[in-house]
Amino acid sequence: MRILGISAHYHDSAAALVVDGIPVCAVQEERLSRRKNDAAFPIGAIDFCLEEAKLEPEDLDAVVFYEKPMLKLERVLTLALRGFPRTARSFPKAMRNLLGEKLWIKGIIASHLGIPARKILFTEHHQAHAATAFFTAPTRRAAILTADGVGEWATFSLGTGEIRDDGSADLRLLREVRFPHSLGMLYSTFTAFLGFPVNEGEYKVMGLAAYGEPRYLDEVRRILRRTPDGAFALDLDYFEYHLSAARSFSRKFVDVFGPPRDAWDPIDLSSDDGRRFADVACSVQRVLEETLVDLARRLHQETGLDDLCLGGGVALNGCANARILRESGFSRVFVPSAPGDAGCALGAALCVDRLHFHRPHCEMPDHPFWGPEPGDVSRIAGEDGLPVDRLRDDAEVVRRVADELCRGRIVGWVEGRGEFGPRALGHRSILAAPSDASMRDKLNRSIKFREEFRPFAPAVPIEAAARFFELSPAAERLGRFMSGVFPVRPDFRARLAAVTHLDGTARVQTVEREMAPRFHALLEEVGRRTGIPVLLNTSFNLAGEPIVSRAVEAYSTFRRSGIDLLVCGRDLVAKRREEAVAPEEAVA
Amino acid sequence: MAEPLRSLRATALDRALLPLHRWVWQDPGRRALKLLRFAETEADGGRDLSRAAEVTRDPLLRRLYLRHAQDEERHAHLFRARGRELLHSLPRGGSVSFEANFFAPGERGLDDLHVESEGDESLLAFLHLSEEAAAQRFVIYQKSLAHDPETRDLFRRILHDEAFHMSYTHAQLTRIAGPRTRRRIWQARLGRLWKAYLRVAAALAGVIGSLILRVQYFVLLPPFVFLARRAARREPEGFAPSRALPDARSQY
Repeated sequence: MRILGISAHYHDSAAALVVDGIPVCAVQEERLSRRKNDAAFPIGAIDFCLEEAKLEPEDLDAVVFYEKPMLKLERVLTLALRGFPRTARSFPKAMRNLLGEKLWIKGIIASHLGIPARKILFTEHHQAHAATAFFTAPTRRAAILTADGVGEWATFSLGTGEIRDDGSADLRLLREVRFPHSLGMLYSTFTAFLGFPVNEGEYKVMGLAAYGEPRYLDEVRRILRRTPDGAFALDLDYFEYHLSAARSFSRKFVDVFGPPRDAWDPIDLSSDDGRRFADVACSVQRVLEETLVDLARRLHQETGLDDLCLGGGVALNGCANARILRESGFSRVFVPSAPGDAGCALGAALCVDRLHFHRPHCEMPDHPFWGPEPGDVSRIAGEDGLPVDRLRDDAEVVRRVADELCRGRIVGWVEGRGEFGPRALGHRSILAAPSDASMRDKLNRSIKFREEFRPFAPAVPIEAAARFFELSPAAERLGRFMSGVFPVRPDFRARLAAVTHLDGTARVQTVEREMAPRFHALLEEVGRRTGIPVLLNTSFNLAGEPIVSRAVEAYSTFRRSGIDLLVCGRDLVAKRREEAVAPEEAVA
Repeated sequence: MAEPLRSLRATALDRALLPLHRWVWQDPGRRALKLLRFAETEADGGRDLSRAAEVTRDPLLRRLYLRHAQDEERHAHLFRARGRELLHSLPRGGSVSFEANFFAPGERGLDDLHVESEGDESLLAFLHLSEEAAAQRFVIYQKSLAHDPETRDLFRRILHDEAFHMSYTHAQLTRIAGPRTRRRIWQARLGRLWKAYLRVAAALAGVIGSLILRVQYFVLLPPFVFLARRAARREPEGFAPSRALPDARSQY
């Protein structure tokens, strides 16, 4: 059975193909269209999936969209009515947005793919999140917690999943919190207040939090109240996102937290305003963590299950994930490589396969590499007169690259299929030595151009992880897709300065040989030379661009940035000292 | 390179509208925001050009596009730095109600570029026209900024690059298209006009659509407002039960 899952039209659209219960490919549209957070109908991603599997659209048994458009319309209309007449400005915008494309998704899919409408199915948004989290995790029974901005109505849901002995699957969402009460929207509102782009800058809030004091804890707790049944509710007097398309926080919010940051203005942590922003970030991060921990703890007590699967965009918050693992009572916590909306493409397909067609569950390959192969870099590099070294085997690649890294070079590392999800996990990564804080500054200055308060992540072989980081075996699992933030052991903080955040933590990636053998070998080789098998691993992209997908994009990024060496498969490309085009040649 | 720079002049229309341009650039707050907006446009342009470098199969064009992309990135940096500088010099909380973005757009502020759907010839023709328009615009901005020598100097430096971009795109178009060069440039010109028409039409349709929806909002919705609010009041706070297993065939 061939099932195509699609998520689209909000942010980060994607497609995923499941054949006989197993994912064959999954990719975000942005990786192909090269437009960051591309929300357009993912026709490029769909084409890629079908080509990869050598299928025609008519070969598909079902195409699944990741949410129910009519429920969404109901929510928009209901909120317009409840907020009347304050929703007068946002109503036309919201309706045009919905009526433009979102509402006709069935027709759009049918016309793009040329398939009959009866093959087009729909899951609920949080059901798709839950399916991504549960069906891709190596567990048979687990509690499920999903949290994001909003789907149709639900913004948060709790449930359970089970794979029975006969392979049949069950996924049950028990209860939910509905819009406008939303942990995701709470965090996004603070993201907007702090001058970062919503749906993109949430990482920055988490990074900034380490620089602050929780001075506004009481205020944030007042805004996010707990309800008697253990859920939560927002004091809507502080928000406007449910009434306005232009602004997410109200005047009352500004009265409490002060004037918002101008997006153009860099954060100066030595100024009063800079410290205030850091304190606000710290406070909301702390309240989010304690709320999630409490919700997870209650879920654990209720279900008595050992495993928890987390889904939704909020599950990208590594600090919260680590606290949930530590404090909620669950023995293991699983977060998929793409817990956000893009991952719903895969979740929707798996959900329909298991629950609608009642096909037995299959063991899932436990890796995130479902994207395109990179292709060849030697032709373009050769055309530009750059020397290309094609090495004999992987062992030689690993030795050469380890040499370069130990010399302080920055390496663009491309191998195999690209990652599905927002994190570079060793197939589309920029790598560097983690020991020196100046490396972090160099990366920020010449490649990533990002704020100084944002940390870089370390990658470490799973066998060695506990030596350098305070990780339990369960936490090692959370580090598989870089889903948790854990303390760096004090003895190693100075020697891992480029990847240790101000608060002594790091968003560790624990690398298993089976998942990424060559990357694992590289880490071990670096360890043999330096005594510390750790590398700084950041995504292979420049500011404002999506992670590279193919060799040609890796090459262009390499040429435009301070990366010293590009490794693509077994090809190594180094920069010449002077390679700019002479102006005379261009205008001759 | 000096030759095209010397021959660059603002369009007759822009020259006639010089007092208006001066007014647009007079206000320091508006000037700062415009420069910051330009920075975004330049950064976007840089991304388009790096995509063009990835897509083309012509090695010389690839190198030129990459250099052009780096120029745009540098311009973005310069605009951003100056914009921030100006913003910092202003009293806190000052706001600008009218940015005049349509009247004084950035480099490709009003031009949409879909790199993948363009061939090398049409892309070069588009870039040539677009750089020419930007260069002409920057000439008039320079003239409008007599009161702000630093910003004027910034435009002067960027204009130097624009002149190179204009020249190389034309030279490369001539190399690739040969006798078709003029036709390509005219096609690109018409394409820009068509896109401008589409933009205006879409904006107009948007305004009409919003108006109709606003009328509906005030005419059709009010009878249901009371019901919706009453239902909201009855909703329990906290958790609500999830639906058991929604029917996958339904959009509801």
